[in-house]
Amino acid sequence: MNCWIHPGLVICLGGFLIPFIPWKRVKQVYFLALPLVGLGILVSTTMGVFGTIPPWPAALHKWNVPFLEYTLDVVRINKMSMLFGYVYVVAAFCMNIYALGVKNDWEHVAAMIYVGSALGAIFAGDLFTLFFSLEMMSWAPFFLLLFRGTQRAKGAAIRYVIWHHISGLCILAGILMHVHQTGSIEFTHMPWGWGGKYLAYNLMLLGFVINSATTPFHSWLSDSYSEATPSGSVYMTAYTTKTAIFCLLITFSGVPLLMWMGAIQAVFALFLAVLENDGRRLCSYHIISQIGYMVAGVGMGTEMGLNGAASHALCHIIYNALLYMGAGCALVVVGTAKFNRLGGLYRYMPIAFWLYMVGGFSISGFPLFNGFISKAMTIEAAELIQRPIIYLLLEGATVGTFLHTGLKLPWNIWLQGRDEPPDDIRKKLKDSPFNTPTHMLAGMGILAFLCIFLGVYPKILYDMLPYPVEYVPFTITRVFSITQMFIFSFLGFWLLRKLVRGYPSFVLDTDWVFRILGGKAMDFCKGPLLAFGTALDQRVEDMSGQFIRKIKDPKIEMHLTPLAIGFGVLVSLILFSTFLILNM
Amino acid sequence: MNPLRKYPKKLFWRLYYVCLVVSLILDVYWLYNHTFHYHFSFQYVVQFFALFGLFGCMLLILIAKGMGFFIVVDEDYYQKRSGGSN
Repeated sequence: MNCWIHPGLVICLGGFLIPFIPWKRVKQVYFLALPLVGLGILVSTTMGVFGTIPPWPAALHKWNVPFLEYTLDVVRINKMSMLFGYVYVVAAFCMNIYALGVKNDWEHVAAMIYVGSALGAIFAGDLFTLFFSLEMMSWAPFFLLLFRGTQRAKGAAIRYVIWHHISGLCILAGILMHVHQTGSIEFTHMPWGWGGKYLAYNLMLLGFVINSATTPFHSWLSDSYSEATPSGSVYMTAYTTKTAIFCLLITFSGVPLLMWMGAIQAVFALFLAVLENDGRRLCSYHIISQIGYMVAGVGMGTEMGLNGAASHALCHIIYNALLYMGAGCALVVVGTAKFNRLGGLYRYMPIAFWLYMVGGFSISGFPLFNGFISKAMTIEAAELIQRPIIYLLLEGATVGTFLHTGLKLPWNIWLQGRDEPPDDIRKKLKDSPFNTPTHMLAGMGILAFLCIFLGVYPKILYDMLPYPVEYVPFTITRVFSITQMFIFSFLGFWLLRKLVRGYPSFVLDTDWVFRILGGKAMDFCKGPLLAFGTALDQRVEDMSGQFIRKIKDPKIEMHLTPLAIGFGVLVSLILFSTFLILNM
Repeated sequence: MNPLRKYPKKLFWRLYYVCLVVSLILDVYWLYNHTFHYHFSFQYVVQFFALFGLFGCMLLILIAKGMGFFIVVDEDYYQKRSGGSN
């Protein structure tokens, strides 16, 4: 059977109808049904309704569309794309539940375009379809940022689009050069090296590296994700970076540079997270850090490394959405996620706290939570290829992750050693443990369940991975070492807990260079350059006025006319003869 | 008071101390019984993961605080510099 329906198209086009449904309940049901339809298509694909999916890396090909002198392979279904497809639609369903309270329908539309185009990218079999999907993806978050309505969000939206256009142009240039060199548009593994011969591939790699927020190009992520609407930021945590990881898995697996970049990034982002005062920015740094594991896994290039990267991407989408939802709860209920203004919320939002903690334990990699089964795989991949420094960096990042998401964030938002929040925050809360909207808790609940379910029963995930898995996560060695590490990390945190308290501040990141130098360049253009241009304009105008006045004098005009005609004929002759010589 | 609103502080600390002591004992016990299968020799150092967790966490905080002298600025740092345009 060939009539495969693209879940991305269903979600994307279906999303446009949301604002035109007049009944609120029907609209909500329809909004929730969109990802479920996508899930239905994927389940029937797995069951073989559209043909049997061959073992990785072979694939089922659907929807071949002629384009110029090429044939676009719009749909390529293989184990990797199915893995990402499943988590994309399941996560979208949970995020839609979380976003049910959003009043602006166009925010839903932007979110569904985002999800749909991400599905378009992962099922793309050719580079043109991939590029088109990635470009669509880069615009949807722009609106999720703008809908926040603040001046800061508007600035972040513009910077987001600039970053993604830079990456888009790099990818496009790389694709065009690659197609020119090889004549192939297949979205497949690419060669990599240094030098002019590999320029196309380095450009493509740079584009994917920017999209995946790999250090030093990570600053767009913390800048934008923390400024989007509370539910918009939840969508943003899942799709852009993980799609970029998917692209890296397909095209640049086994590039050693990526292994080092990933391992360094996993630790570097944590230093910035220590200083962070905003809950959502802190979670952003954890996305960056966790992406480090995936990038490192891709760079290792072994079966274990690639399986680790793919499974970690899947688990990461689930627990990170949960973390963002937890921090977003505080933002929605009391209007801020700044640590210096919070603390003592436990009595008012205990369920949100415990659901958040499931995400915190998962991202840290506690045994029986999903982060453990995926993170341990990447770390063991580093051990198996005998890379002690990479191992220590990744293991160190595990400590830091637990410190921030498992301890610092919940401590600062919900506890801080006090029973009541500050007075201005207390006024916004009912005297009840149920201040968090039910739909938000429901979205978080499903994700929390998935975190635990996958952590307890990893086989279901391992069976979906591209390479066969022989890895056993629950060994005494691994379970004990990581548990002991966390027990003592807590001790370290407790001894220095006063140092990680929030205070009103902003942490500068690598984008300081662009924002400050860019600002200076703008100031230069608006000031001295504009003044110089205006003065030059005036001078030229004056001179041409004087010249015209002079040549209008009848005596001078009589002498100049033959000269001008002669000069014109001479120039034409020279140009014509040059043209003839060049074409001989 | 609604039991949901009571933070289980005492239970947490008791559990924590038990886990701390048990982990220290188990590490030595399993290490000398050759139960662990690590890939690097340094992982076999007694209480390696306890030390790694404790000092890793403290070093991370202290180094970051040192970095903070250079990279932590006012909340409206960019707004001030761009005249409030973003």
